[in-house]
Amino acid sequence: MIREPALRIGRYAFLLNRRAIIVGITLAVLALAFAMIATISGRYPTSPRTLWAALTGNADTVARMIVIDHRLPRILTAIGAGAAFGMAGAMFQTMLRNPLASPDVIGFSAGASCGALAALIMFGTAFVLPGALIGALLTALTVIGLAWRQGIQPYRLILVGIGASLTLSALADLMMSRLDVLTAAEMAKWLIGTLNARNWADVTLVWAGLVILMPVALWLQFALSRMAMDDDLVTGLGLALSPLRLAVTFIGVALVALAVSVAGPLPFVAFVSGPIARRLVKGARPALLSAALIGALVTLLADTAARAVPMVHLPAGVFTAVIGAPVLMWLLVVQFNKGKI
Amino acid sequence: MGEPARLRADKLNVGFNRVPVLADLSFDIPDGQTTVIVGPNACGKSTLLRSLARLERVGTGQVILDGKSIHAQASKSVAKQLAILPQTPTAPEGLRVRDLVLRGRTPHQSPLRQWSADDAQAIENALRLTGLIDHADRPLDTLSGGQRQRAWIAMALAQDTGILLLDEPTTYLDLTHQIELLTLVQKLNAETGRTVAMVLHDINLAARFADQIVALKDGKVRYQGSPDDVITAEIMQDIFGLNCTVIRSPIHDHPLVIPA
Repeated sequence: MIREPALRIGRYAFLLNRRAIIVGITLAVLALAFAMIATISGRYPTSPRTLWAALTGNADTVARMIVIDHRLPRILTAIGAGAAFGMAGAMFQTMLRNPLASPDVIGFSAGASCGALAALIMFGTAFVLPGALIGALLTALTVIGLAWRQGIQPYRLILVGIGASLTLSALADLMMSRLDVLTAAEMAKWLIGTLNARNWADVTLVWAGLVILMPVALWLQFALSRMAMDDDLVTGLGLALSPLRLAVTFIGVALVALAVSVAGPLPFVAFVSGPIARRLVKGARPALLSAALIGALVTLLADTAARAVPMVHLPAGVFTAVIGAPVLMWLLVVQFNKGKI
Repeated sequence: MGEPARLRADKLNVGFNRVPVLADLSFDIPDGQTTVIVGPNACGKSTLLRSLARLERVGTGQVILDGKSIHAQASKSVAKQLAILPQTPTAPEGLRVRDLVLRGRTPHQSPLRQWSADDAQAIENALRLTGLIDHADRPLDTLSGGQRQRAWIAMALAQDTGILLLDEPTTYLDLTHQIELLTLVQKLNAETGRTVAMVLHDINLAARFADQIVALKDGKVRYQGSPDDVITAEIMQDIFGLNCTVIRSPIHDHPLVIPA
């Protein structure tokens, strides 16, 4: 008899995959452990006991300032932004059926940065998120639209996307020339992707966004796992392809914009998370939750590495690029050999 | 004649880039039978099958399913009545057979109802009928060509529809597996009473497995009837421009085309 483990709540039933659950719990424990290590380590080392004391409000002023005002917001923002990137990456990679079709490779992140920067210059800091949202959405619609020939052509998508990415970076540089030197220097770091000097407002923003967007993304996962097959099958199975594509694009873009507005584009986090999650979970699932956890872990690792470099405030994006760029080259070679490009 | 057929085309016009592919085409898919659509390359037979399954944009005219235009019905409720297996379906790498077949259950499910006893039963039946019950946990890409095609059929079966449309289901299969697959389709039609319509390239296989043959040329139905009525030397000449002799198969008692 064919059986699938399912969670039943009243008339609802959700499929559970044992492997996905084990991978998810392992990743969550790893992320938590790593977050704790990141919170107690740094230029002013703190003990786990001081961490506990700071969290419960019993630490001295210096320890509290370092842990509560400084490290914790940075780490929680890193986890939130990384999760948003990881989930968005897996969504686009699944929908467009290509691991190269990640928002940071094909220009959506660059669109978000550009939009955020433009909004910041024209209207001020309160408009960063809407600016990022509009920038990313316009880029996504343009790139997908241009790459469309009765379905997505992979090589067109990647070429158009990389073209869009370069154009938007140039546009961002152009806008930066209008800023004074000090602001421009800060913005330059943000454009690489940095978690330096995050505060509780950033934490609130990114986590509130995740609380709204993640359930919708997980609801879309049912359709996404079918959309990973071909278009005719999706229609044949009775799913409304075009509205679903729009919904996935919109939620994915919103996640990217959210992450970019608190952490900058952080290259390759979205790109590496999906494929790693799929390999861990197996069975050709979209694995959105696992991808989110991988994104959080990668971002946390990159930011901790950035913090460990003495004397300079190195942006975390430098380290995510160091991890991600070789993966991109490897995937390009693999796909080329398979004749998929 | 009693009831009108559940699925029929009514003055159907379909074109690509203003080039008409199907022109004013009307015909019925007889319920409970196996209909095979044949015709020369580019005659529109695949387009016809895809139009019947609402996969093509229809110009004028309509496809009628259960008395209503198929495009006026919710896609999900159409998917409970009619399943289509496209010509070269693709699945993501590493997908297991049981997960593929489970996806056939999509129209009966929702994000909040991903599993039911009916799903279990339908998947089990589909895997048994196609002889894949022992391969349920294998990834699709590790199966042989014949098994893989049976897995796709199993997915369409799990959809649990009264009408099953197959677009050249024997493509890429060797002769043994072609016969095996069509015997399976014949069995499904006989045992479950499903209406089957499929496009086939091989006229002799069509003659052997069809209850009814629809011969298309230049986007129009030229002939429709039993294999005995349609497969004659004159009609083969007209449809395919083929000089041939038609004899009777000494084994299975159906017309057999021997090209000159």
